[in-house]
Amino acid sequence: MLLRPLSWVQLQLGVVLAVEKRINSPLLEPSSVEKIKEIDEHIGCAMSGLIADARTLVEHARVETQNHRFSYGEPMTVESTTQALCDLVLRFGEGDEESMSRPFGVSLLIAGSDENGPSLYYTDPSGTFWQCNAKAIGSGSEGADSSLQEQYNKDLTLQEAETIALSILKQVMEEKATPNNVHIARVAPTYHLYTPSEVEAVINRPMSIRRKSSLKILPWLQRCFFSSLQCKCTSLFVC
Amino acid sequence: MSNSAIDVPSRGGFSFDLCRRNDMLAKKGVNLPSFRKTGTTIVGLIFQDGVILGADTRATEGPIVCDKNCEKIHYMAPNIYCCGAGTAADTEAVTDMVSSQLQLHRYHTGRESRVVTALTLLKKHLFNYQGYVQAALVLGGVDCTGPHLHTIYPHGSTDTLPFATMGSGSLAAMAMFESKYKEGLTKDEGIQLVVDAICSGIFNDLGSGSNVDVCVITKGHKEYLRNHLLPNPRTFVNAKGYSFPKKTEVLLTKITPLRERVEVVEGGDAMEE
Amino acid sequence: MTKQHPAWSPYDNNGGTCVAIAGADYCVTAADTRMSTGYSILSRDYSKIIKLADKCVMASSGFQADVKALQKLLAARHLIYQHQHNKQMSCPAMGQLLSNTLYYKRFFPYYSFNVLGGLDNEGKGCVYTYDAVGSYERVGYSSQGSGSTLIMPFLDNQLKSPSPLLLPAQDAVTPLSEAEAVDLVKTCFASATERDIYTGDKLEIVVLNKDGIHREYMELRKD
Repeated sequence: MLLRPLSWVQLQLGVVLAVEKRINSPLLEPSSVEKIKEIDEHIGCAMSGLIADARTLVEHARVETQNHRFSYGEPMTVESTTQALCDLVLRFGEGDEESMSRPFGVSLLIAGSDENGPSLYYTDPSGTFWQCNAKAIGSGSEGADSSLQEQYNKDLTLQEAETIALSILKQVMEEKATPNNVHIARVAPTYHLYTPSEVEAVINRPMSIRRKSSLKILPWLQRCFFSSLQCKCTSLFVC
Repeated sequence: MSNSAIDVPSRGGFSFDLCRRNDMLAKKGVNLPSFRKTGTTIVGLIFQDGVILGADTRATEGPIVCDKNCEKIHYMAPNIYCCGAGTAADTEAVTDMVSSQLQLHRYHTGRESRVVTALTLLKKHLFNYQGYVQAALVLGGVDCTGPHLHTIYPHGSTDTLPFATMGSGSLAAMAMFESKYKEGLTKDEGIQLVVDAICSGIFNDLGSGSNVDVCVITKGHKEYLRNHLLPNPRTFVNAKGYSFPKKTEVLLTKITPLRERVEVVEGGDAMEE
Repeated sequence: MTKQHPAWSPYDNNGGTCVAIAGADYCVTAADTRMSTGYSILSRDYSKIIKLADKCVMASSGFQADVKALQKLLAARHLIYQHQHNKQMSCPAMGQLLSNTLYYKRFFPYYSFNVLGGLDNEGKGCVYTYDAVGSYERVGYSSQGSGSTLIMPFLDNQLKSPSPLLLPAQDAVTPLSEAEAVDLVKTCFASATERDIYTGDKLEIVVLNKDGIHREYMELRKD
């Protein structure tokens, strides 16, 4: 099973997800490979493993979140969505003929933002899930995970998170990062999949902004206020 | 003309043509207006010196109380009173009518009216109307033959009883009478029992409420105790009161007088003599 | 086979009146405690207000057997919600759930007329008012039940709410203080009891604010 490298970073303002999609042939249409999907407007999902299985899971999660909106008129929390997904994962082998006879062969990173702020969950084919601050899954995940451990800190800005996620992704990628083979998404506080030009802007950003100057953060801070993102801005003052 | 196409009503008896018309109108949605009903508790009992009548004072129209303090003990003659339950208009009309007839009867005979006379006049009238005059009555009085108490049902049937109740609260009131009534009650005991019976109706029957009216009739004397008991005061009044600020919007203050339309022509032909 | 009696109805009306008023940081929900049928009183001390969640209460008049069934269903749904989501249901969420639950029985409705009072996620008072089949609206104040036709015009006069069509959307909560709102509710019920035969005996008032929930009672006419 070929696993693709993914990295995901959770921070106080939102969550950033970066993924390499390996284009095996120049004849392959890059836009037809989707590895980050929207579950609800406040939840995104990145996948590694059998993508077809992931599509079933994502479809299930979409139904669950919409059902929740219908029943209660509120968005479903990220944890509940993850739990609902894992419930399905555990359901294989139950029932008669038409049920699944094998587990879903896919790991998911579920990123979202709800009343408790941004959060990131990781699920594996066993149906277990963990909440993480930062997590990498896929073929290069070991190296990426240790890099995340070094570089993650909970006071990261969104921009820094993008940069770190991409730099770690680059380290474990075999090819050069381009808008065609890298996908980035954020949930801050709503899901947004970056357009190729937005991805390019992140790729072209200097890698070495190991931010220490609070001056650099100030404009971001202001933007946080004025764009009224659901940020926990208090933690930003620590920077 | 003898073979007329028109159905001539057969002679004698009642014509129910209008009932059929009313049924037809009701089916087409033309309903009769609602009546003010005295969903009521009325009672009466005989005590050692005469008769005591009692009534509550609530009048309702469906679930709404339309009169919180109405009078349900009606005058029939100086020595006879009558409590009314049912449609307010019917009880008032029927008691007024009969009290007039009794007055005329007294002019003719020069004697005090008897309770049975009132009873007969009332039941004759009610029977004629086959129950459509919705009056349920408790008739009481003292005449030359002693104290009398009767109940009269809307269809015209009557009872003669030592204690009686009528109206929607009749069961609640009768419960008190059945448990406490005995022969030869004193006046105070009698009033207390009537009050208890009416209160039982007031508190346990939603059609009855507000205050207690009592009327005590003895030989040659009567005592009408209007609002003898007021057991239901208002429970809350906001000390600060309320203002109702916005009045009807004044849109225009200019007055345009109507134009005179009648034209008087003068100098026309003089009327001939 | 015996034929069912044509006059039999599965419904009854047990009367009663409910009122809820939302303020900036509180919500007052009130109902009388009389339960009746026809011209008879079944109970003088029957609570029509149920706490559905920490910040959400429901007052219901109509047919109390249906109301009981509805309350049990909502309580069970709330328990499941707590297990699934590890939190209390918010008042707006309960509002949506109640609407769905009522509409689910669109063609054999719960004969219940509800007002939902509580605090929203920002701690602001909120009132939701319903019909028997689940049409609902968030309002600043509302009244349901046998005395609602008497109370609603008075509340309209005292707490005139802004039109929901105004732009930008106006705040629907009342400008009254909590104590003033409680007094207003008491006046409403004392007055409705004077004229509505199905309202009376006792008034139960539930106040929700940032300090939590508290109940108080006031006597009403018993006739």
